[in-house]
Amino acid sequence: MATRTEEDFTEATRWRRRPRPTFAWLAQVVSGVLLLVLLTVHMVAQHFVVEGGLRTYADVVAWIRNPVVFAVEALLLVCVTWHGIAGVHAILLDLGLRGRAERIVARVLLDLAVATILYGLWLLYMLAFRG
Amino acid sequence: MMRAGRRRGDRRRLGPRWLDPHGRHLGTWAFVANRLTGLGLVVYLYLHLVILSTLLRGPEAWDGLVELFRRPVFLAFDVLLVAGLAFHGFNGLRVALVGSGLLVDRHKALLVAAGVLVGLVTLVAAVRIVG
Repeated sequence: MATRTEEDFTEATRWRRRPRPTFAWLAQVVSGVLLLVLLTVHMVAQHFVVEGGLRTYADVVAWIRNPVVFAVEALLLVCVTWHGIAGVHAILLDLGLRGRAERIVARVLLDLAVATILYGLWLLYMLAFRG
Repeated sequence: MMRAGRRRGDRRRLGPRWLDPHGRHLGTWAFVANRLTGLGLVVYLYLHLVILSTLLRGPEAWDGLVELFRRPVFLAFDVLLVAGLAFHGFNGLRVALVGSGLLVDRHKALLVAAGVLVGLVTLVAAVRIVG
């Protein structure tokens, strides 16, 4: 048992000893917990709360026009993008990415995250106000 | 408890240590599965955004796509998606707890609980989606 605890705990927390570990770890935990809530709301609301689920174009546009739904979806977009991109970054660090290459990849990932969030917000806006 | 996770010389190995199957325990497999499901979910996030972009092309394009996605192969994919989300979510919560020093001695029980919850959520989703 002792061996297993050590193995599991070591593996699970190894990336906390990376550069700037505390922020990366905390951000991943906080966004992860938020995602548990937001994704549950996202899926349960769209598939169970809406009678028959969101299916037609009209259903989706009417749903997104609700300000609460719009806000929840926007927050979900930010959290899921951050969590996903930070996860990919952690895996790349694990692959041994270091130094200049790591800084370039981190910059590309950050730009990708910003672009993803901006595109998602634009999509939400277009559907809610122009759909 | 916090013995160094990376043994001396590990960096020279081919590929990341978390993908090395030698001498692994259950918790480590969960750690590997968490990363693999995470990568799958990032791919799905972008697939989801691409699919949702069809909404910009109006009701006909969207409603046609929804018809396509009601085919059994896509419904099976939906069940797989829920299973991946549930595993990543519940196991991620376990990793967050253990990594924060909470319930470290109960990590195996937490893994079993996560497994049971994943099974339940997947079963409910399968019944709702396919049924």
